[in-house]
Amino acid sequence: MREIYRLHSIRHRYGAATVLDIDGLAIAEGRLYHLTGANGAGKSTLLNLLAFLVPPTSGEILYTGERVEWKNGSAETLRRKVTLLHQSPYLFGGTVHDNVAFGLAARGIRGEERQRIVRRALSAVSLQKFGGRKARELSGGETQRVAMARALALSPEVLLLDEPLANIDRETSILLETVIASLPARGTTVILVTHDPDHRKRLNGERIVLEKGRIVPPASFLPVS
Amino acid sequence: MDFLFSSFAAALRMIGDLSPDVVDAIGTSIYVSAVATLFGAFFGIPLGLVMGLAEFPLKRFAITVLNTLMALPTVVVGLLVYGFLSRQGPLGTLGLLFTPTAIVIGGTLLAAPIVANYALASVRGADQRILPTALTLGAGRIRAMGALVGEIRFGILAAVIAGFGRVISEVGVAMMLGGNIRGYTRTMTTAIALETSKGEFAFGMALGIVLLSVALLVNLFLHFFQQR
Repeated sequence: MREIYRLHSIRHRYGAATVLDIDGLAIAEGRLYHLTGANGAGKSTLLNLLAFLVPPTSGEILYTGERVEWKNGSAETLRRKVTLLHQSPYLFGGTVHDNVAFGLAARGIRGEERQRIVRRALSAVSLQKFGGRKARELSGGETQRVAMARALALSPEVLLLDEPLANIDRETSILLETVIASLPARGTTVILVTHDPDHRKRLNGERIVLEKGRIVPPASFLPVS
Repeated sequence: MDFLFSSFAAALRMIGDLSPDVVDAIGTSIYVSAVATLFGAFFGIPLGLVMGLAEFPLKRFAITVLNTLMALPTVVVGLLVYGFLSRQGPLGTLGLLFTPTAIVIGGTLLAAPIVANYALASVRGADQRILPTALTLGAGRIRAMGALVGEIRFGILAAVIAGFGRVISEVGVAMMLGGNIRGYTRTMTTAIALETSKGEFAFGMALGIVLLSVALLVNLFLHFFQQR
């Protein structure tokens, strides 16, 4: 199985505070990982790094064996392979369709192909009739489903999920769990932040534990088979 | 009070008549204000976005300077541009002094800081998730900025409205750089100042009413777009 991420000596600071201090971490392709840890452990920061939204203060990240360069548009290219879904996702003004189509438009996908992908993505989260609805008028659960559809539409190599199952109704939670569980079989690597042990039980996967910015156990690479 | 009421009544009658001088002043005012606002927005919106999003040394100082520029006296701008455009000035050979273009240049300098400050405030007040969301969906920097501007468009529109309000209501720049030339650079504000100084209070009031009406119409027009 291919190694999709490898992190070396990653340190990340906000001002004087070190929020991440990871000696090494390897993530295999097509697997599901549960990222856990107390509030402030550095989970969201790690996801932002893995999503190539911010460079680490020091250290290096390898993506599919290639060292990530943070300049010259390299991170921008990689961001098209990795999608981060925030805990409280932001939906742009406009319709649900506009939102799901946003990333496709950024990739130059247009016309009937774009329509087809949007329909398929909305269908995956049981919102096939929501395309014309105004995004800002949706409930919390519907918003989370649209955000998931928006991410699925891009068929990312890696899907980073920052507590997508928190604060939503049970029906939506079950639906999203089913969607998430199906992704590794399609080759998508999933890193899911969750605090709920039930989610971890139902969604079979490996566990990465962060404690005060460090991987537990410390200074070790997770085995990649 | 009788003086005010009778002047007001006379002013309304004059508006009904709409003399060519009044029409010229209205046309010049709208033209120079619209063009100056356009240029002000062209420079001010990107400046506000950059100031709001980028981190750079002395950022706080730069913002303080930008805030101060909002209160820039119109006559100071007039004086400054006059220095550049007068015959002895570095741009004197262009022959722009006492032309509508000169008023546009001054108006741009007045509008740009206002637009930039409003844009800056809009960016600062924008949802912090907009840019990361756009970026993680694969948008490049420019598209992500476009998405941000789209999301704060009402704030940006308010910035443009405020810039227009500043330019159409000022008198110092129009007087110093336009020269108040009848039928050419005379704007509503310079005409008001002139007519009132000549004792034609009713005529000044008529122009004042027209000026307010124009400002109201422009705002209604922009408000209509906000609602869409």
